[in-house]
Amino acid sequence: MVARGRKRAAGDPEGRLTSPPGYSAIPIKFSEKQQASHYLYAREHRVRQGAQSSWPQKRTLFVLNVPPYCSEECLSRLLSPCGAVQSVELQEKPDLAESSKEPKSKFFHPKPLPGFRVAYVVFQRPSGVAAALTLKGPLLVSTESHPVQSGIRKWIDDYVDSVADPEALRVEVDTFMEAYDKKVAEEEAKAKEEDGVPDEEGWVKVTRRGRRPVLPRTEAASLRVLERERRKRARKELLNFYAWQHRETKMEHLAQLRKKFEEDKQKIELLRAQRKFRPY
Amino acid sequence: IRSAGGRTGAMGPAPAAQHLRRAAAEPEVVKPALEDRVQGEKKMASRKRPRAGSPAEGLLQPVKLSREELYKEPTNEELNRLRETEILFHSSLLRLQVEELLKEVRLSEKKKDRIDVFLREVNQRIKKVPSTPEAELTDQTWLPAGVRVPLHQVPYAVKGSFRFLPPAQVTVVGSYLLGTCTRPDINVDMALTMPREILQDKDLLNQRYFRKRALYLAHLAHHLAQDPLFGSVRFSYANGCHLKPLLLLRPHGKDERLVTVRLHPCPPPDFFRPCRLLPTKNNVRSAWYLGQSHPGDEPPTPHYNTWLLRDTALESHAQLLSAVLSSAQGLKDGVALLKVWLRQRELDRGLGGFNGFLISMLVAFLVSTRKIHTTLSGYQVLRSVLQFLATTDLSVTGISLCPSAESSLPALADFHQAFPVVFLDSSGRLNLCADVTASTYHQVQHEARLSMVLLDSKADDGFQLLLMTPKPMVRSFDHILHVRPVSRLQAACHRLKLCAELQDSGGDYVSAVLGPLMTLLEQGLGSRLQLLAHSRPPVPEWDINQDPPKHKDSGALTLGLLLQPEGLASVLQLGPEADQPEAADFRRFWGSRSELRRFQDGAIREAVVWEAASLHQKRLIPHQVVTHLLALHADIPDACVHYVGGFLDALIQGPKEDGFVFRIRVAYQREPQILREVQSPEGVVSLRDTPAALRLERDTKHLPLLTSALHGLQQQHPAFSGAARLAKRWVRAQLLGEGFTDESLDLLAAALFLHPEPFTPPSSPQVGFLRFLSLVSTFDWKNNPLIVNLNNELTAEEQAEIRSGFLAARTRLPVMVLLTPQDRKSSVWTQDGPSAQILQQLVTLAAEALPILEKQLMDPWGPGDIRTVFRPPLDIYDVLIRLSPRHVPRHRQAVDCPAASFCRGQLREPGPSSLMPVLGFDPPQLYLAQLREAFGDLALFFYDQHGGEVIGVLWKPTSFQPQPFKASIAKGRMVVSQGEEMVMVPNVEAILEDFAVLGEGLVQAVEARSERWTV
Repeated sequence: MVARGRKRAAGDPEGRLTSPPGYSAIPIKFSEKQQASHYLYAREHRVRQGAQSSWPQKRTLFVLNVPPYCSEECLSRLLSPCGAVQSVELQEKPDLAESSKEPKSKFFHPKPLPGFRVAYVVFQRPSGVAAALTLKGPLLVSTESHPVQSGIRKWIDDYVDSVADPEALRVEVDTFMEAYDKKVAEEEAKAKEEDGVPDEEGWVKVTRRGRRPVLPRTEAASLRVLERERRKRARKELLNFYAWQHRETKMEHLAQLRKKFEEDKQKIELLRAQRKFRPY
Repeated sequence: IRSAGGRTGAMGPAPAAQHLRRAAAEPEVVKPALEDRVQGEKKMASRKRPRAGSPAEGLLQPVKLSREELYKEPTNEELNRLRETEILFHSSLLRLQVEELLKEVRLSEKKKDRIDVFLREVNQRIKKVPSTPEAELTDQTWLPAGVRVPLHQVPYAVKGSFRFLPPAQVTVVGSYLLGTCTRPDINVDMALTMPREILQDKDLLNQRYFRKRALYLAHLAHHLAQDPLFGSVRFSYANGCHLKPLLLLRPHGKDERLVTVRLHPCPPPDFFRPCRLLPTKNNVRSAWYLGQSHPGDEPPTPHYNTWLLRDTALESHAQLLSAVLSSAQGLKDGVALLKVWLRQRELDRGLGGFNGFLISMLVAFLVSTRKIHTTLSGYQVLRSVLQFLATTDLSVTGISLCPSAESSLPALADFHQAFPVVFLDSSGRLNLCADVTASTYHQVQHEARLSMVLLDSKADDGFQLLLMTPKPMVRSFDHILHVRPVSRLQAACHRLKLCAELQDSGGDYVSAVLGPLMTLLEQGLGSRLQLLAHSRPPVPEWDINQDPPKHKDSGALTLGLLLQPEGLASVLQLGPEADQPEAADFRRFWGSRSELRRFQDGAIREAVVWEAASLHQKRLIPHQVVTHLLALHADIPDACVHYVGGFLDALIQGPKEDGFVFRIRVAYQREPQILREVQSPEGVVSLRDTPAALRLERDTKHLPLLTSALHGLQQQHPAFSGAARLAKRWVRAQLLGEGFTDESLDLLAAALFLHPEPFTPPSSPQVGFLRFLSLVSTFDWKNNPLIVNLNNELTAEEQAEIRSGFLAARTRLPVMVLLTPQDRKSSVWTQDGPSAQILQQLVTLAAEALPILEKQLMDPWGPGDIRTVFRPPLDIYDVLIRLSPRHVPRHRQAVDCPAASFCRGQLREPGPSSLMPVLGFDPPQLYLAQLREAFGDLALFFYDQHGGEVIGVLWKPTSFQPQPFKASIAKGRMVVSQGEEMVMVPNVEAILEDFAVLGEGLVQAVEARSERWTV
């Protein structure tokens, strides 16, 4: 298989790599030791007319199929020979907007595991994009000068990172709670201010915090009320009082039996199909 | 299909690889795999019967009837049927099921006609067999060379002479005539009345009658064997009684399996004087049998007499049964159902089995005592007979079909003296249960009681459990014990002084020793034991040119122990106080194991103390008891006893040196509720399930409830943890562990204890595990929820409600649905798996493993390699990734425990580092998570998290189809030109190298094993 596979992978005889229209293929390997390469498929980032994109025009390189062991820094390093790289962002799938830059808590949002991703590489100058598209490769992710950890070593590092520092955790939680308390206090103050004050059309908003408690506006509460009503009605109704009621009850019973019978017949059919009636 | 389907029901026989292949192919589609397990069988079924539309997909649908159909005026016929169902059966489902079953076991008219033709032919041939001149019984030179006498003639010398004359009469007797014979083994019994000229008055003495009978058959066999009408002519024993051979005739050609005609020679009516065959009489003289006369009175020979009497009563029994049964279809159906019931419990086989004839006679008895009325339905007859068996101990109070109380007839007490179980026929002289041991009868009673409980519980699947579930010994009993070689029992006979019994049974030491041996062990096991059962020697069949098989050829004597969980924990067998007279008996019984001990209350008593430290060793105390007693009293040494009880325990012995780590989670009861709240634009707060809420609820609400319920279960059934751990160990050893949560497997194991029907709750991990395999492989996961009624909280009505709710919501539920009182709708523990394909793979593997393991455990010479069924099939995977054991933290838990391993995550001396000890650092799991994230679209990964050294990889065939270029699928793929087109295919070589890169240090080798992915 390997032999056949290789023939196929190499592209045409002149050594040009097969790439989909509009893209150019750049081989990439983890290190010198590997035989086969993955292929990055890269093109200049463009959007259809009318579509909005936060990536700068002309200077952004769109790259498909970035292997899991290739990080942002790594890609930046690999592409820097083509021109100074301003930023690299790796994403699950193509996305026209830059992700929010707000830092996520490392305690509550552990780093997601990398798979194959897409990258938006922003060069400082448009010439970088053009240079990158003509790269021959193969690019090497891990080299002697810049080794990249993988496997056991990486997991050990991750483990060490994952051991939480109680003090840092406390600080983070405290900060969050302070902000939350402040927000709640503000809302309460606002509600109090508005309580009992009619708006311009004269409506008064009744809230939970009013002087007289009202029914909470939840689905469960309204269901409870409906149920109570139904029960009240059911109590008043007479059962099997009139002859027609009696007849109907009987018919209902018969219908139930018929339904059960049909169900049973279906079950039997099924069991018979599965040959479940052979006791041997 | 039958060979693999058979017992395992609908689980098709498709080889393991295929299922997983499909698994890889259609990961998102839920339906197909479970569906096509019926496909093959459907094909067969559909050829035979036209079938209704809806269940064709093998999936039950909620029934929808139109209003008109539901509320139309009922016809008289319909009302009658409904009323009948209500009175005669307990539900319409049961009625339909019983009708189906009877259809399946009953003989078709077409076959009956063919059998009738064959029987007429047989009759003619027998009458044409030529006579022979008279010869002494000891002169057997007239017999042709091609046939051997089907009897062990010991001692050989016997008076009298024999000649062959064609039978005076040939009559069909038994179930065929009555219409109660059941498939699959259709036997027709024919009684051949030997002419008076052959027999002499004193033939009942010293086996002379039996010798003549055997010679009669030998001559008959020789002549019939030359007839092209017969496909096979062989000998066997009547009900396993080795003094009474019979001749088996099977038709030639395609009808060979249609029917077996059994020829029973019998004496002319009223030839022998019945008073000489009473159980107190002797008809085998010691002077003849032992070569020396007996001091004092000759010992009675009750069994010998019974065997002879039975031959004289063949016809009268047939007449009685036909008088009772022939007019009442319900009774016939009842007998057929009872036969199925006995057969599923293996109670009807071998010498002293509770066979169809006995049960028919029992029905006749109950009719005669008006406990059964002839208008009852088959189901009601079944119920009444089971009720009678459950409540009547025939080993204490015998019953009799004989209406008169003549003084000339022997008393019941005489029979109780001679036989363990007493049921007299209409003559009042013949004990129909003469060969039935007390143990066999108690086993029947035990089964009847279990069945009554089941019937009274109104369980939905009562029929299935009662009549369709086989109960092989190895799955019914907690421990199994083989005594082999059987010839060792001969010595036991002498040790137990059973000479008279041997004389009575004509040298059958196995049946002679059975009773005393069982009594001995029952006494010794005492409160540890719930029931002790023994296998009955199988009835052999042999060619007419061979000598009859010897007793020792019957393999092994197998005993089954049903243990009492309450009695297991004690290591002490308390005896009487030292100065009591019973102390001597106690000492004699326990031999050297009995010692005087002083107890805390000051009493000095005889006592036996067994060595056992752990629960698992305590569970094996019966082993010590049995071997000790057998060696002491029956001269059966340790080496001849093979005890099957704790073989699987080795697989779940955890490493001892590891400590525990407690993980603390802060939980707030209302948090899941808060996560559910959604505010509509109008400001109404409603509750909607969200994944986060469900997950949190599972971890903080369901999990603690489940844990405490399971803890309670463990207190009740100490074998629970062992069974659950074996189940988990096995599932994970098959590399399927990641599809099943811990809790789902715990629940499966719990179901075995909470709903053991038709068995009793397991008292050993071994039997629990066997039933786990059986449950997994036979349960119809598609159409049924497995309701695990923890703490017995659910009533029958609630369960019915859950079932109907399940049907309505089937498509939205996971493939495997486990419901508990706390979780009546959603099956929280199987929400994230298994997928249909993984479940199907498990079902297939379980169906394959069960017979292998059962065969190993039932092998009297040892189980061989017990780990066989725990080793996964590796040849089905496309790539194997070998891991370095150095980085496998649970290395010691591997199925094949490594000889040496490493110490992990600990420093010898507690160091200053906050990182030590290392917790939960599991490189294989980290590796798998990465593989699944990066290549989950292209492949499935399988691993045994208990120390597995290999990861199995299956490519998904659909992902390997060349596809046109798309940015969203570029992951791990490359573009190649295929003819004119540019297509994307997985970059397999690079991926294989990625496997090694991502697992650097952990991965030893990546073996690509198949070439299937070349496009």
